[in-house]
Amino acid sequence: MGRRTGISRRRALGLTAGATVALTAPAGCGLFDTEPEPLPEPDPLQPILDEALALATAFDRAAAAQPTLTARLLPLAEDHRAHAIELARVIGTAAASAAPSASAAPVAPTPAGLRAAEQAAARTATTAARTAPPERVGLLGSIAACRATHAEALRS
Amino acid sequence: MSAELAAALAAEEAAIYAYGALGVHLTRDTDRDAARAAEQIHRARRDVLISRLAELNASTAPAPAGYDLPFPVTDRATALRLAVHVEDGVAQAWRATLPVTTGPDRATALSALTDAAVRATRWRRTAGITPLTMPFPGRPS
Repeated sequence: MGRRTGISRRRALGLTAGATVALTAPAGCGLFDTEPEPLPEPDPLQPILDEALALATAFDRAAAAQPTLTARLLPLAEDHRAHAIELARVIGTAAASAAPSASAAPVAPTPAGLRAAEQAAARTATTAARTAPPERVGLLGSIAACRATHAEALRS
Repeated sequence: MSAELAAALAAEEAAIYAYGALGVHLTRDTDRDAARAAEQIHRARRDVLISRLAELNASTAPAPAGYDLPFPVTDRATALRLAVHVEDGVAQAWRATLPVTTGPDRATALSALTDAAVRATRWRRTAGITPLTMPFPGRPS
């Protein structure tokens, strides 16, 4: 019974399990001052931004490796960079400091590999758009459509 | 939502008219087949919109008998340009429905936006227009 009360008090204080350490901190340290900052929830647009950055890099790499494809691939890389800038603006981070594409799958820098990556990325953006709030859904819908047009443009 | 869906209906009806007008200038079988397939899809989207608007008890203006084309369509090149133009317009109309829709209506709008953008890219490739893609299909220009 006493245990349950303790837990419910912690809940009532809004403390996480990790924060209970602060309760045993020496007096003098403010009880709430030492509470660690909770990790902010990642923005639901972050995976879309990660994909945009990974795709831009993959297109740059493919264009550098195959100069005959440069004219075809560089405009697509530019589209992804435009997406990254807009997404970062909406999320509220600087595009330059946007997280590296840790969560995005590596992309094989070949037309077939790029095409598969675009199809997967179009699905991610479409899924996010289905439940996005009104002020974000237009951007997500356009990004999903753009990625699908890239997959089309990469057809041989 | 009804106003935005009615605007999408108007765009689909304009697309159906435009494909009728441009089809006669397409000289290659593959172009004509693609135009016919696109027109069928626009007719299907139109029918879905008409039923949905009826469910919502929204009144819709009858489709005009004719349209002023944005530029004269006299040959294959201008016909292909018109096809790109109407698909871009359809994409814009569907994108405008996204913020006011949810659930199945939003899913329909997303697939209509993407389909129109992909057809615009195909027509650009057929016409030799570059770049083939734009960063934000459907965003008002």
